[in-house]
Amino acid sequence: MSVGIEHELPAPKNLYRFGTFVLAIVVAVAALGVRMFYLQVVEGQASNQVAQGESSEIEAVPSSRGLIYDSNGTLLVKNIPNFTIQVIPHDLPLSEKAVVVRRLASLLNLDPLVVDSEIDSATGSLYNPVVIATGVPTDVARVVDENHDILPGVHVVAEQQREYTNGLLYGELLGYTGPLNSDEYANLKDAGYSSEDTIGKAGLEAYYESVLRGTYGQESAALDTNGQPIPGLVTSISSPVPGSSLTLSINARDQALAQKALQWGLSAAGVKMGVIIVENPQNGEILAMVSLPGYDDNLFAQGLSQTAYQTLRDDVNTPLINKAVSEQYAPGSTYKLVTGTAGLQEGVITATTTIDSVPYIELGVYKTRYYEWNKTGWGPLNIIMGLAHSSDTFFYQLAQKVGLDRLTYWAEQFGFGAKTGVDLPGEATGIVPTNTWKMIAQGAPMYDGDIVQVGIGQGFVTSTPLQLLNAYCALANGGNLWQPHLVTKITDPNGNVTDVQPTLIRKLPASAETLQTMRDGTRAVVTSRHTYTMVDLPIKVAGKTGTAEFGIKDKYGRLPYHEWFVGYTPADAFNGDPTGTTSQLAVLAFVYGADTYGDISTEIVKYFMWLHYNLKGSPFNQKTPGYIPYWVPKRTNFYGTANNH
Amino acid sequence: MSLFRSEPMKIRSWTPKAASLTWRLYDFQLTTYAVLLTCFGLAMAYSNSVGSTHTTLSPGSPFVRGLMWAVIAVVVFAIATMFDYRWLRTFAWPLYLANVGLLILTLRIGSNTGNAGTSARWIVIAGFQLQFSELAKIVMITVFAAYLAGRQQKITSVWTVIGAVIVLGPPWILVMLQPDLGTSLVLVATLAGMLFMSGSSLKWLGTLFGAVLAAIPFVWSNLHPYQQARLLALVNPGADPRGSGYQLIQAQTAVSSGGPLGKGLTNGTVPLPVQTTDFVWGVLAEELGFLGAMVVLALFVALLWRLLVCSWRTSDQFAMMIGCGLASMILFQVFVNVGMVIGLMPITGIPLPFVTYGGASLVSLMGGLGVLQSTNLRREPPAW
Repeated sequence: MSVGIEHELPAPKNLYRFGTFVLAIVVAVAALGVRMFYLQVVEGQASNQVAQGESSEIEAVPSSRGLIYDSNGTLLVKNIPNFTIQVIPHDLPLSEKAVVVRRLASLLNLDPLVVDSEIDSATGSLYNPVVIATGVPTDVARVVDENHDILPGVHVVAEQQREYTNGLLYGELLGYTGPLNSDEYANLKDAGYSSEDTIGKAGLEAYYESVLRGTYGQESAALDTNGQPIPGLVTSISSPVPGSSLTLSINARDQALAQKALQWGLSAAGVKMGVIIVENPQNGEILAMVSLPGYDDNLFAQGLSQTAYQTLRDDVNTPLINKAVSEQYAPGSTYKLVTGTAGLQEGVITATTTIDSVPYIELGVYKTRYYEWNKTGWGPLNIIMGLAHSSDTFFYQLAQKVGLDRLTYWAEQFGFGAKTGVDLPGEATGIVPTNTWKMIAQGAPMYDGDIVQVGIGQGFVTSTPLQLLNAYCALANGGNLWQPHLVTKITDPNGNVTDVQPTLIRKLPASAETLQTMRDGTRAVVTSRHTYTMVDLPIKVAGKTGTAEFGIKDKYGRLPYHEWFVGYTPADAFNGDPTGTTSQLAVLAFVYGADTYGDISTEIVKYFMWLHYNLKGSPFNQKTPGYIPYWVPKRTNFYGTANNH
Repeated sequence: MSLFRSEPMKIRSWTPKAASLTWRLYDFQLTTYAVLLTCFGLAMAYSNSVGSTHTTLSPGSPFVRGLMWAVIAVVVFAIATMFDYRWLRTFAWPLYLANVGLLILTLRIGSNTGNAGTSARWIVIAGFQLQFSELAKIVMITVFAAYLAGRQQKITSVWTVIGAVIVLGPPWILVMLQPDLGTSLVLVATLAGMLFMSGSSLKWLGTLFGAVLAAIPFVWSNLHPYQQARLLALVNPGADPRGSGYQLIQAQTAVSSGGPLGKGLTNGTVPLPVQTTDFVWGVLAEELGFLGAMVVLALFVALLWRLLVCSWRTSDQFAMMIGCGLASMILFQVFVNVGMVIGLMPITGIPLPFVTYGGASLVSLMGGLGVLQSTNLRREPPAW
């Protein structure tokens, strides 16, 4: 009887259950034992052979990455050797450690204590190299390398590093390279990438990864008993083939001027985000593309800390995104190009038909009012003056007459709602709203109010800055919608040059007269002084402004808005016909969330033109920059609620 | 039975004569095997601490910490041996509540230590990582033992099985939420073993087993992707040789390279993930070879045998159930852990009893063995 639990019977002992348990132990341990015997005694003999130094390992030999030049042959990115000093703890005998550390520290001009703690604090295998210093000068690297017999365990590794000649200027355009992440490795391991490899991560570095990378070579390295390569016992299987070089249509001078103009405009308007793109309408070549704020490519090339990267990534002004192609915004009045062309070409109006511009129009059963931007209107206007004044009520009524289907058709003809196919990663498509689109997005068809908003590039319409510029290029060149592109030549390592031919997306199905009328309208925008002093420049500019509301209303019921300007000049900018089809320079400026009198983007384009054509005097008839003109940030809404002009 | 009837040892039983009688009941073999296994564990911790370059031992190295934990484990073992285990039966249900409370605490304030994503398994107190799910295994053995001993008269009823599942429920769910698949499996296996040994109805046990099988698809869909990947890697380790399959391939390479006699302590070279914990068997097999591995397995068999012998000898159902619970738990953990390293079982993160470096595991186990020795000391001398 057990003490204290008298009323319980002695535990019944079931011999069968105990027997079964013993059997389970025997079976389980026997299974483990048999498997261990197989692994260690049967297979173990074979694997010990491997460990006796008979084996070798195929290693990749990196190829030299292709270079990138601008249209004049200026080098934009090159490769520099980056010497890294590493210590493999396993190869550093403990008895010599203190001496070696002291020697190494004096060579590298480091504190021996720091070097010592770096070696000691390394976690992981003793064979994993511990990086002591990167970016070591060539002469120091050579001294360390030559003295490897008194510096056991210390290795000099020469890695290629990209050096961007002006990383801040080309930011998202060139992009950067970085180590493969696990997803990329999973996708690319069959293409010969190793997990320690680098890959183009953004911009042209990413888009032209396969061209720039070249072909890695292979070498066979004999392994010692620890599975480490034996120095000197390396045989080459195939040599690496360097990557091809790219020649861009980007003009380094225009790029710098464009950035200067945009930076000036953003600081004048007191905002951070903006885009400027310069394109040649005759073939779709991009001459300059700046998206601000950007980043310095060299930060990534030299290795960016995780926190620095997160700061960039989480910045509300999205420095990591190329806003010229990867973001889409309401195009505002610049979209009147589509409405006007559709009206003329569909026969709804002719160049001389007038439509009354009125203070507002009323739509629907609730008589919702859609205002003219100046709340008064100009009376009867033809299409040219409608564009010149950027009359909203004119285009509301025109859009109603054209109808949504034909507006959609013309928007698509101009390339809206589809990727342009530019050779940059992460292009956005923009939105051309249709009934189907709205049913899917919001479960309702397009109401009349939505359609008239489409007519002035508001409401649901969005476009990337590049799409918009490219549409105007098609207008400026007489109806050819070219695929915008950045790379004009690919030069392989043997010097064979492949020219990249411009691709024609489509010829616009619009008559020459229609496009001529629209070009007359864009010129009238400038000559009517809708763009203020732009007409005073000694060059002939035609273009269109745009202001688009977006986002959330403030406490006064006002919406923030974007400001746009797209302009182009004839081939002979000083004496040519701005309404002709010879243009070789079209410029788009876009400022996000600007709140200024006038249109800061017009001023940015004007400043760029002034710089580009080396004009005398000042673009603002004032001493600029430094002079704060009247388009300084405003905090009251000059135009009332409708800001579209 | 009134709450405090179960009496502690009488003072007079500590007279020399009684003491010698008492120590005759003490199972020295059991203790010896456990200590030897712990020594193997410390040897592995030493090997991992100094590596093949024989760096000096730092105070934070696995070996030094392991030694410290071993000392604590011995103290806990001694206390548990002297303590009258019948108090545990009295306080089984408060212990159960405290256990559930600790698991909730772990979920609320537990630290994520990394390799498995957002798991909350540890609580750090005064620099010690405490893994309460290890303690939970032993506490649950006590609780199940009390429960099954109390149902001795109606042990074959279906309600025995249903009640056991209900008792298991809360801690099991809390452990799964951490998420700690390994411990939750150990809890299930321990309960299954104890139910079997308690003499409950095989028919209802079979039904429960069928129900568990039927629940697998549901549990699978609730597993974390990393857990699914580890399980899938068993089927095809080559599919992702750098991810989940990497561990498996590396582990088997390490075991194979050990050969019959091993490379010798500290001479292991194959890099293994979590060398000191889940994959310690890989290091052991590589450095001590087939011979050393078989010695360790033999020690486990001997230990299990002594656990069963203790269970057989006692006349107290509660004590018998504790012995059977410990045996079930250790057998399951050994089979799954070793099986995982050599590719017989999926990777589930179950520690190897005594050998795996981990304070909570060792202290809990030694505490459990201490309780069993306590039952030995307090059993009626055999009739023969």
